[in-house]
Amino acid sequence: MRTWFAKQVQDAQPVPSVVESPAQGLAVAPDKIKAHTPRRMVYAPVLAGASADTEGSTIRIKAQLDLDGAQIVFMIDRPVLGGYSYYTSDRASAAEYSPLAAVLLEQSGVKSVLIHEMNVTLAFNALSDASAESIARQCGQTIRAHLESGHAVMADAFLANMPSEDVIRDGLQGAIDDEINPGIAGHSGEITITAIVGNTAYIKMGGGCQGCAASGITLRHGVDQSFRRAVPQLGALLDETDHSAGSNPFFTELPAEMSA
Amino acid sequence: MPRLETLELTITTGQRGLNRTPGYAINSHEIQFDTVQGGTGSGETLEATGSPQSFPHSLTLTGPDEGFWDIAHIAVTLHAGGAPYTVHLGAVTLDSESKLNLWYERPPVLLDV
Repeated sequence: MRTWFAKQVQDAQPVPSVVESPAQGLAVAPDKIKAHTPRRMVYAPVLAGASADTEGSTIRIKAQLDLDGAQIVFMIDRPVLGGYSYYTSDRASAAEYSPLAAVLLEQSGVKSVLIHEMNVTLAFNALSDASAESIARQCGQTIRAHLESGHAVMADAFLANMPSEDVIRDGLQGAIDDEINPGIAGHSGEITITAIVGNTAYIKMGGGCQGCAASGITLRHGVDQSFRRAVPQLGALLDETDHSAGSNPFFTELPAEMSA
Repeated sequence: MPRLETLELTITTGQRGLNRTPGYAINSHEIQFDTVQGGTGSGETLEATGSPQSFPHSLTLTGPDEGFWDIAHIAVTLHAGGAPYTVHLGAVTLDSESKLNLWYERPPVLLDV
């Protein structure tokens, strides 16, 4: 079976040796474009409504719906798993390592569970506009009931079988060197590990991956799967790349066949 | 990344004004607004529209060529697939070396559950 990265090597198109004019591809009349003067980016505070009251003993949970990514992030008003993170899509693993994940994988349509600090992220096979809100409310109630009952989030076996940060880094670096970077070299891309904290990995996507419209697909279907094969105890995988600063992304627009 | 078809800005200037029509830039290419109403003098409000029709790795409002521009409030309405959405930004000051980020992904749907 070809891996995702092996397919990228085979399908990769040569990278142009000359960077195209940056004005190409813009659907704006040329007379409206001026010469660019470098400036530093500043950010104004984003004004939002008042945050929810987090006082009191009731566990408050906000659900952030991501219909495109078919996932719901539950933000809880207190730490759920500190120092480490836990990811699973396997019921047997959840039964051994995380009572909370085991309960959540029983919910209809839940494909995987990620528990990290104050967040619980559930991925679904599909999430429709019509059903997402009711699913979020049901899963939120399940999380609250589990936490309020005093049942453990993680089993003792979770930390007992946790490799050291050095072992995790070595395992992930091996996957990068042997599989990931050779696969995306055809797009002038590269992945680097910036930190391992507990079993959470922080990475940056460079070269043609930085700012690439397909970088999210590479992360989810390539890097994530390769990493988890190399180090099954890997928890959260977080991309620290400033994609807005990418100077030569491979895809500036997601190809139609990849967005389907 | 969604394609940004058009944007609408409502900029309320604070104490120090720009006193001219600002420009904006998409992916570091500076572009003029399509339509402009009002002004950027002290206390004035400017309404501007643009149609970049591109995929925004960056979308910025360009600062003054010299001096300072105090912005009290900006409402940015983005038409980037689906229903348009508006992001409200608070006070910020731009100078000759700065540009203000205007690109924000569609705000996520948040529920109390």
